Amino acid sequence: MGRYILRRLLSVIPTLIGVTLVIFLFQRLIPGDPAVAMLGEHANAENVARIREQFGLDKPAFLDRDALAEGDLPGFFDSQYVRYFGRLLQFDLGESIHRRIPIAETLKERFPATVELSLLAMSIALVVGIPIGILSASRRNSFLDGATMIGSLVGVSVPIFWLGIMEIMFFAVIMKWLPSGSRLSSGIVIKPITNLLLLDSLLTGNWVGFKDAFLHILMPAISLATIPTAIITRMTRSSMLDVLQEDYIRTASAKGLSERIVLFRHALKNAFLPVITIIGIQAGTLLAGAVLTETIFSWPGIGKWVYDSILGRDYPIVQGVTLLIAIIFLVVNLLVDLSYALLDPRISYE
Amino acid sequence: MKRNTFYTLFALLIMASMLLAACASPSEPAATQAPGETEPPVVPAETKDTFIFGRGADSVQLDPALVTDGESFRVTGQVLDSLYAFEQGTTNPVPSLAECTPNADASVWSCKLREGVKFHDGTDFNADAVIFNFERWRFTDNPYHYPSQVFEYYEAMWGGFDDASLITAVNKIDDLNVEFVLSTPMAPFLANLAMDMFAISSPAAIQAAGEAYGTPTGGCVGTGPYKFVSWQEGTEIKLVANEDYWGEKPKIKNIIIRVIPDDSARFLALQAGDIDALEQAVVEDLATAEADKNLQVLTRPALNTSYLAFNFKIKEFQDIKVREAVAHAIDKQGLISNFFGKYGTVATNFLPPLLLGHNPDIQDWTYDPELSKSLLAEAGFPDGLSEVTVAEDVTDADGNVLYTAGQKIPLRLYYMPVTRFYFPAAKEVGEGMAANLNAAGFKVELYLEGDWPTYLGGRRNGTLMGLYLLGWGGDNGDPDNFLGYFYATGAEPIKREGWYQNADLAAILQEAVTLPDPEARAALYRQAEQMLHDDVARIWLGHNNTPLILSAAVQGYVPQPVGAENYEFVWFSN
Repeated sequence: MGRYILRRLLSVIPTLIGVTLVIFLFQRLIPGDPAVAMLGEHANAENVARIREQFGLDKPAFLDRDALAEGDLPGFFDSQYVRYFGRLLQFDLGESIHRRIPIAETLKERFPATVELSLLAMSIALVVGIPIGILSASRRNSFLDGATMIGSLVGVSVPIFWLGIMEIMFFAVIMKWLPSGSRLSSGIVIKPITNLLLLDSLLTGNWVGFKDAFLHILMPAISLATIPTAIITRMTRSSMLDVLQEDYIRTASAKGLSERIVLFRHALKNAFLPVITIIGIQAGTLLAGAVLTETIFSWPGIGKWVYDSILGRDYPIVQGVTLLIAIIFLVVNLLVDLSYALLDPRISYE
Repeated sequence: MKRNTFYTLFALLIMASMLLAACASPSEPAATQAPGETEPPVVPAETKDTFIFGRGADSVQLDPALVTDGESFRVTGQVLDSLYAFEQGTTNPVPSLAECTPNADASVWSCKLREGVKFHDGTDFNADAVIFNFERWRFTDNPYHYPSQVFEYYEAMWGGFDDASLITAVNKIDDLNVEFVLSTPMAPFLANLAMDMFAISSPAAIQAAGEAYGTPTGGCVGTGPYKFVSWQEGTEIKLVANEDYWGEKPKIKNIIIRVIPDDSARFLALQAGDIDALEQAVVEDLATAEADKNLQVLTRPALNTSYLAFNFKIKEFQDIKVREAVAHAIDKQGLISNFFGKYGTVATNFLPPLLLGHNPDIQDWTYDPELSKSLLAEAGFPDGLSEVTVAEDVTDADGNVLYTAGQKIPLRLYYMPVTRFYFPAAKEVGEGMAANLNAAGFKVELYLEGDWPTYLGGRRNGTLMGLYLLGWGGDNGDPDNFLGYFYATGAEPIKREGWYQNADLAAILQEAVTLPDPEARAALYRQAEQMLHDDVARIWLGHNNTPLILSAAVQGYVPQPVGAENYEFVWFSN
């Protein structure tokens, strides 16, 4: 097991190098110049040239073949990518072209916001999706099953954008129960420890802060949870249905075991493998795909930040955040793979 | 897995959480009675001493000399004062931190500084502070003019840096008197001084923060009615009233400028009472707001112009008859009514009506598709125009040839990929215009060049090969900022302006910017407008009075045509 984990961790390195190459390549394929994006209607040739030079954008993207032809080996490697990779080895993500502040600094504030939202959304998806999926499978073709199937179909199909707006309209404008957006009311302060506001307010015993943060996160978390909840429900149901038709389940029922024990002790564990896989994929998607939810609810996470950075051609931000998301994807997938062994003793990693 | 493994794991999880909590708490006071930071302060919303403005995007930087975006000036305009300011609701520069008088030919300006003014950090506002700011902007070897910083507006408005600067010296006469020496007489001097980007920062604050001045961690320090409190990036900026302000004391204690990126969500937040005012609303929400007694709609006087431009490297556009045919084909009034709504007005000049030099006598082109067809026939296109010819080679920024001379290309109408304050619905206008042109004998291909940076890049390099839509918003309320900025270098073809060339016009504009007498200037600008019209250089489309939506309780909010609005006059009616 230990060797397997080590091997997997080592394999992360070439994957990440691949990721940086791909991000770099695709960004440069998008037409448009960061300097022009930054200067807007006022852009003149001199200013554009100066900004390009300051941020090394006048260097070739990967390698300088012209320099090689002239026998200038250091010049050959003096490219945007090599410079970027060199900084990365020193754990330096660089700074934003537009704001000129270190990306790590902004990431420290924004990433926890996305993590908190994604974790709560995933918790909602698990707490709602798995039990409903199990119940639905155990009462196949019942009214509950039909309602679940229709509900989950709607959940997968509903545009998050529309759902978010409807939530704000009902809960904030009409009922005035919940705030329409942002992470905290003005005037509420929570001492930052992890920057996960719910956790920080609990750790510091700040109940007013906890309540305020909870009311703020509720609508975005429900919006974000909609698709994963629907997918997990459907996956749990279909996986359970497969397992419930196995011989050993019939044997267990024939032995006179209660439905609860058959479902939860015998069926669920075996039905859980595909569900875990889906959860892993969804967890990554949640982190990367919170753009719409964050936009509608003015949630200060990384989704909206990356979106704006792509439009503004702020390359270092896009690179930094994509790399982070790639790392998380890899870690979540590793955890998912490891959890298979816990659920199914027949799976061995040696 | 053994039966009890789940329970063991669960217990471990609980223990881990408790351990985490235990690790975190020693630095804290007793959790239940945590004072200070852990104790939430009283929420000020109930007493309504907080004005919350909702906007679509965050500020880029709070050092106004480094930025060009209105969202940065919205904040710095409250914190920093310039030597001059724009009178409420107009483009007239009026004294703020200084009162200046010119010598006979307006090449030396003597400025008396306001006495007894202090920066928010307690240091004095005086001649040294003014000189520190201007020298920092001007000299590229100044220790506080960092290599990574682009003082773009200084370069644009004052001719350039170092020796290229039109301000050749800022001399200290005494603590409260300075003298600006210009290399050439400059009529818009006071208008330039009033711009938000030339607001005076505290030298001590710049020295202390270094390159971080103006960033979320560095903030900004000026002499304005509000002090900078905090900036949570992408979320909100908080300001608090400056009780020692030299001018009229702010009526509201706290200002929060909050980012709500989505237009609909921003409007819903206003309806829910979470914010008090917003800018940039979709047309449907504007209609809702007008009908809602809890809301009010104000309009910002238009200091912008949208237009349809010709690329003069298209051979056919070099013929004035073809350009006239285009001008008669466009139903401006229809386009404005349909897509700008009631906030737009038809443009006949490049200069909006509120600016000096606007020429009201210009007779606009009539909308007459039949006349267009006959003009096209006279120009040699009796069957209409669907394909055009490249007159000379056109290259990109790196010198690669994109279009070769003689090449035939479809007649394109480039439309902007974004909505701008001067162009509320660019794509829809483009579609309407294409329909107009197609009904008048042209056959245009509606063309999307790429996203906004790509589009602007194409404009800058003169590679939007056809007709293209764009616009301009004024920076300082001076006609030179419109006509001069666009056409003063027109002795040669101006790449950025679709290769338009007009040496006579350029000469007039270069003269107009130096004249101290406003009437004499206005006469020249009116003449320039007439020349542009007679030459059918461009089709001016409209001026847009941008709407703002506010809660009905907000009073004293005066939309400014130029520069940041003054929040110190805002108050709540109940």
